[in-house]
Amino acid sequence: MKGITKEKLNQLLQALSGDYQVFVPAKTSDTVTKFQPYGEGVQMFWQENTLLSPKDIFFPQTEKMYKFKTKGMSVDIATITPPDAPKILFGIRSCDVQSIDCMDKVFLTRGYEDEFYKTRRENTLLFALACSTHADTCFCTSMGIDPQQASLADVQMSDVGDAFALEAKTPAGEEVLKKFDANLVELSNPKIVPLDEILIHVDMEGVSEKLEGMFEHPLWDEVSSKCIGCSTCTYLCPTCYCFDIDSKLHGEDGTKIRCWDCCMFSEYSRMAGGHNPRPSKKERVRNRFMDKLLYNKKRHGQVFCVGCGRCVAKCPVNLEIATIIQKVKEAAI
Amino acid sequence: MSVSEEVKTTTATAEEWQPKILVFACQYCTYAGADLAGLSRLQYPPTTRVLRVPCSGRTNPQFVIRAFQKGIDGVLVAGCHPGDCHFSSGNYFARRRYLLMKRLMDFVGIDSRRFHVRWISGSEGPKFQQVVTEITEEIKALGPNRKLRDEDE
Amino acid sequence: MSDISQKMRDVAKKLLQDGTVSLVIGWEKGNLWYKSAPAFISLPEDADRLVFDDFCYHNLSKYLIDRRDMDGKITIFVKGCDSRSLIGMIQDKQIAREKLYIIGIPCPGMKEDKAAVGKKPGADLPEAKKCALCVNPNPLIYDELIGEKAPDREKKNDEILEKVEAMSQDEKYEFWQEQFSTCIRCYACRNVCPVCTCRECCFDSSAPQWLGKAENPSENSFYHLTRALHMAGRCVGCGECERVCPMGLPVMLLNRKLTKEVESLFNESPAGTVMEDMAAMNHYRLDDPEEFM
Repeated sequence: MKGITKEKLNQLLQALSGDYQVFVPAKTSDTVTKFQPYGEGVQMFWQENTLLSPKDIFFPQTEKMYKFKTKGMSVDIATITPPDAPKILFGIRSCDVQSIDCMDKVFLTRGYEDEFYKTRRENTLLFALACSTHADTCFCTSMGIDPQQASLADVQMSDVGDAFALEAKTPAGEEVLKKFDANLVELSNPKIVPLDEILIHVDMEGVSEKLEGMFEHPLWDEVSSKCIGCSTCTYLCPTCYCFDIDSKLHGEDGTKIRCWDCCMFSEYSRMAGGHNPRPSKKERVRNRFMDKLLYNKKRHGQVFCVGCGRCVAKCPVNLEIATIIQKVKEAAI
Repeated sequence: MSVSEEVKTTTATAEEWQPKILVFACQYCTYAGADLAGLSRLQYPPTTRVLRVPCSGRTNPQFVIRAFQKGIDGVLVAGCHPGDCHFSSGNYFARRRYLLMKRLMDFVGIDSRRFHVRWISGSEGPKFQQVVTEITEEIKALGPNRKLRDEDE
Repeated sequence: MSDISQKMRDVAKKLLQDGTVSLVIGWEKGNLWYKSAPAFISLPEDADRLVFDDFCYHNLSKYLIDRRDMDGKITIFVKGCDSRSLIGMIQDKQIAREKLYIIGIPCPGMKEDKAAVGKKPGADLPEAKKCALCVNPNPLIYDELIGEKAPDREKKNDEILEKVEAMSQDEKYEFWQEQFSTCIRCYACRNVCPVCTCRECCFDSSAPQWLGKAENPSENSFYHLTRALHMAGRCVGCGECERVCPMGLPVMLLNRKLTKEVESLFNESPAGTVMEDMAAMNHYRLDDPEEFM
């Protein structure tokens, strides 16, 4: 089994950076960890999953789409091309890899390919990291994910103590490992660091089907009471994909931008004229969990929760999907 | 030409740069004072933009911040002398508000010398000319404002 | 604290059973040992969910805003800081005093849940960051008090504030721009704040659009500075804004700076401490400091 010692990791990353933009999990401040392009001064962070999911690499929080100049009754449009340099997501965990699968389904399937997402997503290799530690809030195993084997990985990385074992899983992964073979070493008898018992377990069996009949269930009144309507859960969630499109205008010119939006905001579904089909927190909270656990399952064939636990960790009032799944499971119809 | 376009063209050549000053003038005092300055043919820098508001108390701190976002170099909020407000107390509220705002600006590293509040009455045409000229000169010395500037402005 | 939990349950049960109130807002356990959460109890049998422990840091008063027109009275449990925001809300006429049956709980200080991550239940934890500068452990308004009065807390120096005040102008700008560029505009700070009660927030307005949708340092600065100034003189220092921030921004630092300036400039009682007084920005004195002549 080939691998890279943790001591020589920087060398490998430097070599890879010659041909690819390599994103690594990094600590950017005392309180924030996120994926950043590898470079000098980047403080890599391996203890646990990043606070911000890597979804902003393909789906940035603010994305400029095109510039426009109006001239009388006509308009000139200049597209802003997103960067399409080959990328490596190095050290992305199974839950986030699964979330990329979900996002691919949203942006690239069902008859429409989002050109901005597509351009950023193409030519990307996934070096998935098998988890050897987990946070209190992780529950990927309950969502059908193997923390030590990522579904879409091109290369599966595993922590074997003083090194990372690298196992190619796709032809593209094989190619890149071959190309950079000079930086790798042969690991003798690598033993993958086992993962401790995950604390949170939820039973997903039959939950989506049960939700079909629960639109008017009193459960939603109860669970939505404490929601404060911020977008912490949505912005941290690796599978949340809602966006808004806005213009930044100055006189006759402007830029069209796409930016993250959140269905928990009170004005999210407000229409021209003032009507809002989701007027209260109950409708919005219900929509969010239905969308994650039922609607996306019907639309794309998979539940849009990967058990990463970010919402569990950061919701100001501890309103999170693991408990909701439990409550749905136990709810009397 | 929109304000932001003017900023772009004027900052293109450094020696010609003039600061853009935005004045929130209360309708009953300062605006009248500015009008009087005009009637009296008192010259003041032509790069001043005057926005009429009903009262200095109507202005909100966010107006000032937005002005800096959009490329303004200096802001003046001007109203009636305390005690003379057309709405009796608007300028008293403004006074409290802007005493705080100046201190907050300094606290976050934005030079509060770019933000002035003055009381200019309807008969004080010369004071209007004097204040605006002084502020323009002071901000010319400080240079164009880059802080809080929105990336596309 | 467990006997307080029992007292909470008993009083909630009684108030619901005899119809004095139709809703009790308190706290219950979350899904991890270091998480508690707001609880909404309308049936006496559910009252056993109520707890008061080291993680009941939530300020529950914000929840009254959506419920001020509901039938019947509401019981709310408040700690010291929470009670100040209740007074502030009543002063602002956001909720009627008669609508509430307030139960005060003297607060021993909460624990920092962020320090509990990865630790076993019962681990020794430092005091919650938001409690560091507390001077009001005892509720200032209540219809009933459960628990012994907490000892007075000594006012501590605000070292973080002093540190930033001592920086040069460019250092300050750099510091704050770094903080503001980390903000993801989730609006958790605004939504949890008991003082932010506008029916339509200026940041949600699309006509006129005060705040663009783009997330960048300029727009983020606009948001934080404007919100701090809109709340000036009314912030009660409950610290919820900083606690809920997922990115760890020092949101309270802006509010504490303004509170300090309000105190030194205007000689007003601290926000939410004296019911008969008005919030500092809601009134004026003829002899206020004059710098603008």
